[in-house]
Amino acid sequence: MKTKKIRIIGAACVLALWLALTVLALTAPQKALSEAERRPLAQIPDFGLSELWDGSFMKDFEKGAMDQFPLRDSFRKFKALFHYYGLRQSDNNGVYLAEGHAAKLLYPMDKEAVALAIQRLDKIYEKYLKDTGSNIYAAVIPDKSCWLGDLALDYDAFFSAVEAGMPWAEHISLTDVLTVDDYYKTDIHWRQEALLPAAKKLAQAMGMTLEETFTETVLDRPFYGVYHGQAALPMAAETMVLMESESTKNATVYDHESGKTVSVYDLTKLESKDLYDVFLSGSRSLLTIENAKAKTEKELIVFRDSFASSMIPLLLENYRTVTLVDIRYMSSEVLGNFIDFHGQDVLFLYSTTVLNTKGILK
Amino acid sequence: MLFSSIPFLYWFLPLVLIVYFLVPKTGKNAVLLISSLVFYGWGEPKYLFLMLATICLFYLCGLAIGGAKKQPWKKAWLTVSVFISLALLGVFKYADLFVSSFNAVTGLSIPLLRLALPIGISFYTFQCLSYAIDVYRGTVPPQRDPIAFGAYVALFPQLIAGPIVRYADVAKALAHRTHTMEDVALGLRRFIIGLSKKIILADNFALLMKLFRESAEPSVLFYWMYAVAFMLNIYFDFSGYSDMAIGLGRIFGFRFVENFNYPYLSRSITEFWRRWHMSLGSWFRDYVYIPMGGNRVKKARWIFNILTVWMLTGLWHGAAWNFVVWGLMFAVLLLLEKWIPGLKELPGALSHVYVLLMVCISFVLFNAESFTQAGSDLGGMFGLGGIPAVTAETLYYLKSYALLFVFGFLGATPLVRDTANRLAQKPWGTVLEWVAMGALLLICTGYLVDGSFSPFLYFRF
Repeated sequence: MKTKKIRIIGAACVLALWLALTVLALTAPQKALSEAERRPLAQIPDFGLSELWDGSFMKDFEKGAMDQFPLRDSFRKFKALFHYYGLRQSDNNGVYLAEGHAAKLLYPMDKEAVALAIQRLDKIYEKYLKDTGSNIYAAVIPDKSCWLGDLALDYDAFFSAVEAGMPWAEHISLTDVLTVDDYYKTDIHWRQEALLPAAKKLAQAMGMTLEETFTETVLDRPFYGVYHGQAALPMAAETMVLMESESTKNATVYDHESGKTVSVYDLTKLESKDLYDVFLSGSRSLLTIENAKAKTEKELIVFRDSFASSMIPLLLENYRTVTLVDIRYMSSEVLGNFIDFHGQDVLFLYSTTVLNTKGILK
Repeated sequence: MLFSSIPFLYWFLPLVLIVYFLVPKTGKNAVLLISSLVFYGWGEPKYLFLMLATICLFYLCGLAIGGAKKQPWKKAWLTVSVFISLALLGVFKYADLFVSSFNAVTGLSIPLLRLALPIGISFYTFQCLSYAIDVYRGTVPPQRDPIAFGAYVALFPQLIAGPIVRYADVAKALAHRTHTMEDVALGLRRFIIGLSKKIILADNFALLMKLFRESAEPSVLFYWMYAVAFMLNIYFDFSGYSDMAIGLGRIFGFRFVENFNYPYLSRSITEFWRRWHMSLGSWFRDYVYIPMGGNRVKKARWIFNILTVWMLTGLWHGAAWNFVVWGLMFAVLLLLEKWIPGLKELPGALSHVYVLLMVCISFVLFNAESFTQAGSDLGGMFGLGGIPAVTAETLYYLKSYALLFVFGFLGATPLVRDTANRLAQKPWGTVLEWVAMGALLLICTGYLVDGSFSPFLYFRF
């Protein structure tokens, strides 16, 4: 009899919890954005007969109800904790934890993707660089999984494939000047304040030296990297440090997309969803940096992804002009309309993640 | 609408429960009917008319069969009912299979209908058919109340994935049912257990299966992990849905038939089919196998009966030939067990190995997109094709999913249920039980909110 009463009370408590969540789901104001996931949230749609008839109302409602669920971030965190620690799963949403770092599974090497990427870069060489007399360099940035976890890419095979596919470039290995601690714990990217050894190695290989003095500026805003939201695990906020020098202070950055001139460190991006956008304004297809105080009149063209945004400011002192091209956002077929290739130094600086993703380079 | 979705759990179900328990007894069937139609129309608004037409036709057929004075008329109306059922399934489920097969054999190119499969059509058509046959046999009187009949056919707790509830089992409850707090509590518990089986176990096994399919480095071990993951996935998916249906039914005052009884503990294939999808097995036994003569016929006819029933069982699961072969595989195994008694009496662990191996192989065939894929999967499991025994990726996922497999194996035995029942005898055990229910509800909600969303496997049936 006693257990029956307890059972009914227990059921009543669970029903009350259920009902409370229902009331919150029905009444809570809708949110536009998820900070943790860095994406706009789906909204509960307005009712419409035609949308009801074609079923789109229901589909949108499903999405909206999931995205707008009360305490969404807490529920995602709860699920992630259960997934990692309750079920002992190695990863949550493809993000795993090792040595205090969150990292994305990057396995195995997608040979087709790498071949496609190399083919694209080779076309650029053939079309724009072959007869210009440019010094051409290439460096592949290892993902932090290189130092983490049980399931890492075969990096030796990866680098060998890239080197073999780009025989016209001088390849610079960065693996020996990086460690896992040179990357943010919650993000895919490397930390700019840890990149001086890698920058010096690049500069040396390109026949330069780095002599500038850098001062560290710590941003006030806490940095939560992209994996923080994806993993949904309680991970501490990180600090973002900018390496400032005479060159970074004086150089100007022309954004061909917006037609605006901005600074190397774009502080208007401090409120951006991704704080890493502070480095050269984030994802931009074509930028030209002018450094009037450069040691030489040399020019550099960098074919790059987002990792270069924090690396290139460290190399500025040696170049009067640096052009950054991101062919994820513009077609390499039209580069000739924007860039005059005439023997500038050229650096291909790509991360393994980009090279291992099929069809990302245009 | 899926049970394991936020709109169902936190919008539809609470609102329906509130309205259902607020209205007087006379209005409860109407609430069930309307809410069931909303539930059905949510996924397929255009097929709502098909559902309404099905309800009307079988309601009228039931009245006609029950009202006919002479046997030939009864038989005629029953024939109409059977024709309607077969026509519904034929047009909406099987037409394209037959047309494409006909095209393949003749070289013609008759265009396919390409109709979307109405959700749960195999379940509600079989329920309607059993109703018409039972009225014909005089087992039950025809339902004169169209609301009650509509509520029976469209009853949302079991509408889209069973169990196949026969009219005779719920006829009394449709007319008069009681609601107690005890039933609500037990129904709620059963529902949350089913939800957890679906979301925490079945969906995570589904994720492993997806990772296997995406793998560029398959290994023999990975093929076996996939096969075992699918065995557990389909069991927890389908039995989880049945648990939710039975739990919801109990909250609304119904007692639905059990659908699973720990099938992976079986020691023979015959026993397996007494424990797996019991409502379907008994349906085919009572409405197809026995009317065909069952085993009280000559040997050749009996073999024909077995092959027919199992071919139909396979076909019921999906409009593809691999389902037919899957059904026939069980027919052969069942016949072998009848002819070779030793097969049903294998000693201890060997009997379990035999059943699990056969079921595992059958489910690989069941889940394959084509015979080619089935051959490739089975070949992979037995080391054909020169693939390695194990890879780094396989070991990574083995490590990652080891505990889930352990939970899956334990959950497929009565151990968890028995332990929970023993604990629930004590007051503190009951408290613990409900704390666990609350936690499971929150964990499931977390998975849903995080986007762990996959439709029930039995939707396509």
